[in-house]
Amino acid sequence: MASSSTSLKRREQPISRDGDQLIVTPLGAGSEVGRSCVYMSFRGKNILFDCGIHPAYSGMAALPYFDEIDPSSIDVLLITHFHIDHAASLPYFLEKTTFNGRVFMTHATKAIYKLLLTDYVKVSKVSVEDMLFDEQDINKSMDKIEVIDFHQTVEVNGIKFWCYTAGHVLGAAMFMVDIAGVRILYTGDYSREEDRHLRAAELPQFSPDICIIESTSGVQLHQSRHIREKRFTDVIHSTVAQGGRVLIPAFALGRAQELLLILDEYWANHPDLHNIPIYYASPLAKKCMAVYQTYILSMNDRIRNQFANSNPFVFKHISPLNSIDDFNDVGPSVVMATPGGLQSGLSRQLFDSWCSDKKNACIIPGYMVEGTLAKTIINEPKEVTLMNGLTAPLNMQVHYISFSAHADYAQTSTFLKELMPPNIILVHGEANEMMRLKQKLLTEFPDGNTKIMTPKNCESVEMYFNSEKLAKTIGRLAEKTPDVGDTVSGILVKKGFTYQIMAPDELHVFSQLSTATVTQRITIPFVGAFGVIKHRLEKIFESVEFSTDEESGLPALKVHERVTVKQESEKHISLQWSSDPISDMVSDSIVALILNISREVPKIVMEEEDAVKSEEENGKKVEKVIYALLVSLFGDVKLGENGKLVIRVDGNVAQLDKESGEVESEHSGLKERVRVAFERIQSAVKPIPLSAS
Amino acid sequence: MGTSVQVTPLCGVYNENPLSYLVSIDGFNFLIDCGWNDLFDTSLLEPLSRVASTIDAVLLSHPDTLHIGALPYAMKQLGLSAPVYATEPVHRLGLLTMYDQFLSRKQVSDFDLFTLDDIDSAFQNVIRLTYSQNYHLSGKGEGIVIAPHVAGHMLGGSIWRITKDGEDVIYAVDYNHRKERHLNGTVLQSFVRPAVLITDAYHALYTNQTARQQRDKEFLDTISKHLEVGGNVLLPVDTAGRVLELLLILEQHWSQRGFSFPIYFLTYVSSSTIDYVKSFLEWMSDSISKSFETSRDNAFLLRHVTLLINKTDLDNAPPGPKVVLASMASLEAGFAREIFVEWANDPRNLVLFTETGQFGTLARMLQSAPPPKFVKVTMSKRVPLAGEELIAYEEEQNRLKREEALRASLVKEEETKASHGSDDNSSEPMIIDTKTTHDVIGSHGPAYKDILIDGFVPPSSSVAPMFPYYDNTSEWDDFGEIINPDDYVIKDEDMDRGAMHNGGDVDGRLDEATASLMLDTRPSKVMSNELIVTVSCSLVKMDYEGRSDGRSIKSMIAHVSPLKLVLVHAIAEATEHLKQHCLNNICPHVYAPQIEETVDVTSDLCAYKVQLSEKLMSNVIFKKLGDSEVAWVDSEVGKTERDMRSLLPMPGAASPHKPVLVGDLKIADFKQFLSSKGVQVEFAGGGALRCGEYVTLRKVGPTGQKGGASGPQQILIEGPLCEDYYKIRDYLYSQFYLL
Repeated sequence: MASSSTSLKRREQPISRDGDQLIVTPLGAGSEVGRSCVYMSFRGKNILFDCGIHPAYSGMAALPYFDEIDPSSIDVLLITHFHIDHAASLPYFLEKTTFNGRVFMTHATKAIYKLLLTDYVKVSKVSVEDMLFDEQDINKSMDKIEVIDFHQTVEVNGIKFWCYTAGHVLGAAMFMVDIAGVRILYTGDYSREEDRHLRAAELPQFSPDICIIESTSGVQLHQSRHIREKRFTDVIHSTVAQGGRVLIPAFALGRAQELLLILDEYWANHPDLHNIPIYYASPLAKKCMAVYQTYILSMNDRIRNQFANSNPFVFKHISPLNSIDDFNDVGPSVVMATPGGLQSGLSRQLFDSWCSDKKNACIIPGYMVEGTLAKTIINEPKEVTLMNGLTAPLNMQVHYISFSAHADYAQTSTFLKELMPPNIILVHGEANEMMRLKQKLLTEFPDGNTKIMTPKNCESVEMYFNSEKLAKTIGRLAEKTPDVGDTVSGILVKKGFTYQIMAPDELHVFSQLSTATVTQRITIPFVGAFGVIKHRLEKIFESVEFSTDEESGLPALKVHERVTVKQESEKHISLQWSSDPISDMVSDSIVALILNISREVPKIVMEEEDAVKSEEENGKKVEKVIYALLVSLFGDVKLGENGKLVIRVDGNVAQLDKESGEVESEHSGLKERVRVAFERIQSAVKPIPLSAS
Repeated sequence: MGTSVQVTPLCGVYNENPLSYLVSIDGFNFLIDCGWNDLFDTSLLEPLSRVASTIDAVLLSHPDTLHIGALPYAMKQLGLSAPVYATEPVHRLGLLTMYDQFLSRKQVSDFDLFTLDDIDSAFQNVIRLTYSQNYHLSGKGEGIVIAPHVAGHMLGGSIWRITKDGEDVIYAVDYNHRKERHLNGTVLQSFVRPAVLITDAYHALYTNQTARQQRDKEFLDTISKHLEVGGNVLLPVDTAGRVLELLLILEQHWSQRGFSFPIYFLTYVSSSTIDYVKSFLEWMSDSISKSFETSRDNAFLLRHVTLLINKTDLDNAPPGPKVVLASMASLEAGFAREIFVEWANDPRNLVLFTETGQFGTLARMLQSAPPPKFVKVTMSKRVPLAGEELIAYEEEQNRLKREEALRASLVKEEETKASHGSDDNSSEPMIIDTKTTHDVIGSHGPAYKDILIDGFVPPSSSVAPMFPYYDNTSEWDDFGEIINPDDYVIKDEDMDRGAMHNGGDVDGRLDEATASLMLDTRPSKVMSNELIVTVSCSLVKMDYEGRSDGRSIKSMIAHVSPLKLVLVHAIAEATEHLKQHCLNNICPHVYAPQIEETVDVTSDLCAYKVQLSEKLMSNVIFKKLGDSEVAWVDSEVGKTERDMRSLLPMPGAASPHKPVLVGDLKIADFKQFLSSKGVQVEFAGGGALRCGEYVTLRKVGPTGQKGGASGPQQILIEGPLCEDYYKIRDYLYSQFYLL
């Protein structure tokens, strides 16, 4: 449905530029962070990358601008990873819109997606009208989501796609899409740095024509991972050594697992810390642990090798904590708690009770959204407001050590330099950061062959790709490679975006299609001499051959090598032929003729006389008709000398030879018109050639 | 022109021997599968040994001995050094299978065909692919793309597609189209018209596969019947292949019924196997991954199965009826053989075979009908030497050492004489090519073998092995000693490595008992004694092989309908049967080569590429038919700027062509269509369809066509001249596209 309507649209458009138009429109995450959703359309195929919601808004306002597109036209929806801003509007899009395409994500993403969104629905405190979807919608969406493994190539309606490791969180993928040879890479969130459990983003082996890339970190550079890890463990070690408590407010999934791995390993290497408990307070993360423990294979070699001995996600020094009531706050401890922004919940409760003691420490492990308490305390204010409304002095140490797994400028620029995509589209970045990144990248690609675009939401980027359609001629047709000027005729079979040309009788060999021949045999009641039929047929058709049927010895006639007329019995005549439009017509006329013989014998004689006459008249008639038609087309047509027709149009003269169809004229336009017109007239008035085969 | 393809079977044709085939594509040699049997008969590998060094890539399809068994031996002894491609589960489970094979053998014989190290090094460089991953080969194989696809027989099991220039060569053996508990069915039917299909005829004569539910019911009933009367049940299984399905069936049934009979899974690597399998969810059936996604319920978190890695644990288990799954399935070695001998004479016990035993093995013998009453079994056991034997052994060892030392010193003297002045490689003691290394070690003789560390090469000029000595020739300049700053940089990786090291063994996990067995260097010997075992226990065989049966194989091949077909791996009758069937019904080019017989299956297909010009395409009207669209084109050949042939519209009117009816008419579907249009239809005899009162319609021509594979369809419609006739003809035409 979708493809046919759009392909029609394409045909209507005058081909103004070389190639077909490719459109990329961010419906979200265009010059902003949050609600990632990028629409792409090329040659009638429509793809949507990601389907997130904006964490800072609620209700419909948080959705990407789905009104811009027709959801029913989307062929494939690809989700890169499970984060809210990349996947959370999926239940809405699947259940509440007309979308009926296919959705793909990796195994790990799908497993965590459900847990995360169910939790999201539970904790988001919005009114019922503002609820975009409920738990039931999530469960229903699970049935529609299909899974794809890394590097697995999937083809849907001629769209080929596969994914690479993105290194951002467990199961995060970068999608490479190939439509008719044009490749588009959508990175989603990615990181080129290998960490404790994730692989670094892979470098695709093919360079894409378009790279849609995230720009969260802009032109920033990250500290080396080992320095960050060392700062992190040093702060914790010194704090607990002095009898203090460490609070790590963290988002439940993604980076938290990395931090837990660091802590568990650090504890294992420092036996003196073994009496100090590490708690990990997130029921959601606890549930997701099973997923982490299972999808070891999508992690890096380090973890896989460790897995050979014991599952590294079975922590030895870390215990889960369900609520603050279970927490016995005596002496030093390390607690990792949600939510990461310290808005409310367990992390806030602990913060409130610990913030005034200067022995304690709080480590903010990643990017924080503007407006949250976590963001505020990074600037180390003197006082903070507690949940109960009172103010308290902020004495605890606050450290900001970013473990966020987004590519920094160095990674982005090397990634792009390796890939050398001719078109770069920046998404998922704050507008100013994005502009800075664009400027800096432009200096890296000074040759001017690289276009960098930063569309805003709903702003389309249009590109044109030379869509060379290549066909493969196979089989008998290809026995001889043709030279220029030769003709090639055959059946063109299009499947996806591949074309094949083959001879009709080999269709079943090279494709799943098959050809058929339909043989028809009808019997007509006829009483009379077979010779009458023969005589009559000879009058009408040019070629009538007489023979005798070998088996029965009955007389048979073959008309134009197509239709066999046989006398089956005294009372019946049979007609046999193999279906095609011309034979059908011939047989119809034979049927009519036979019926006429048996019904109105005398009339036939009359007609027979007419038929003889018409032989001579035909020639004259044809000439008359040709003349009349030419007059109706060109107006001034006269019979010139040497039997040629002289046609005058707007002062231009053309001479037409009626016999050969040759046209002489100084005006090439007129010449061509007359020639075509005459050809058509001739084919209309002349008898149908029956020798076509 | 077509890509040149040759197939040479190296093992496993016209019999049930292990699989190993050489497929050469435009001169690039693929070894597909590298199997061995449970008897480890080296004569089977002779054909392989002749070509091993010419192989450019190895593709593995299933993680069992028949498909991968010879890999370590071939790598070590036959000079096979090509990169190996397999899926992650085939790699992991294959490795475990080989460990289990080795350990089982070592326990009962002086097995020396390969060692654990050989297994490790053979599997170390396996390049792991995921299903449907198109892997582009480089170098010599430039332009070849390989991809594994779901085979459905074992976890990670693959059918391989090798593509070059748009032509597919598909290798599909031991596939299963039926979905199972832990596996999806094969995707073989999604390939159509490959240039070559290499497949097995293993099950070609096997029919009457019972429905899954009924089979499962019989299976469980048989087991519980024996348990209830106090008998034990032994299932001889493979290490990490089909056993997974059995474990799931038992586990599921036990939790439904609340049985308390213990189930033991006993192989040398059982706990590692299950640990790995737990992380392979993405390779399993949709229902397993779905249940994990929705409830995080890992199907291989086995609650009723106890994993054991040595026999003592089983012996110490509380007495009473139990189910034991133990390797090897062939009963030639492993725990299964021991247990069989112990249990065979109790009529209450049951030995349940889930697959046909390999040819010539004990399992096969027991499966014959009627089952033998007695079997002669040679039982071997490794026992540590003790008492006089030990003393004798030690004396012998010492004597040998002395002798060798003596001989070595003699040899060395000669050698020093010989090598004196000829070549002096003492200047660079650590850089010696392998050949000399060999000589050097030889020269010092095995006397020192025990004390020399691997990789340590004593300088040949020294009298006794010694560590190389280097002069400290540090250079000094005005600022002091010249240093290399890199030596003092703390490397990032060191932190990683540190972390990894406390992890320990990198090569893969071995169970403790296994490790102890490996490290056990106490002198021991193998004791053998022949026993006559009375077989009074019940012997039952059920089909849990996970392979498609004969009928499905035929319809699968018909559906795929390759241009050329190569049949392998089946006894002669089955091969011949399938060959005849395919020749008659599917394709005219069916080959069943003998061992080392090369068949050339290069497609005689001609092809060239042309560009379709926009002018031409704008005039083409496509008609949609299933997945594809068809149109008739008449065109003239032109050239593009880049010297490519392109098709342009014909300058004049095209000469008319013979009309073609495209479409696939299924009589049954057409019948339904007609009756929906209100025409009375019914089947008359001989496949004819009687439409209305007078008109009949039938397919004629060669019978048994499937999917129109063997030619255009011939349809005959006949009837007297009447209105109905034309009506039905119109309906018939509506089923086709006229081009």
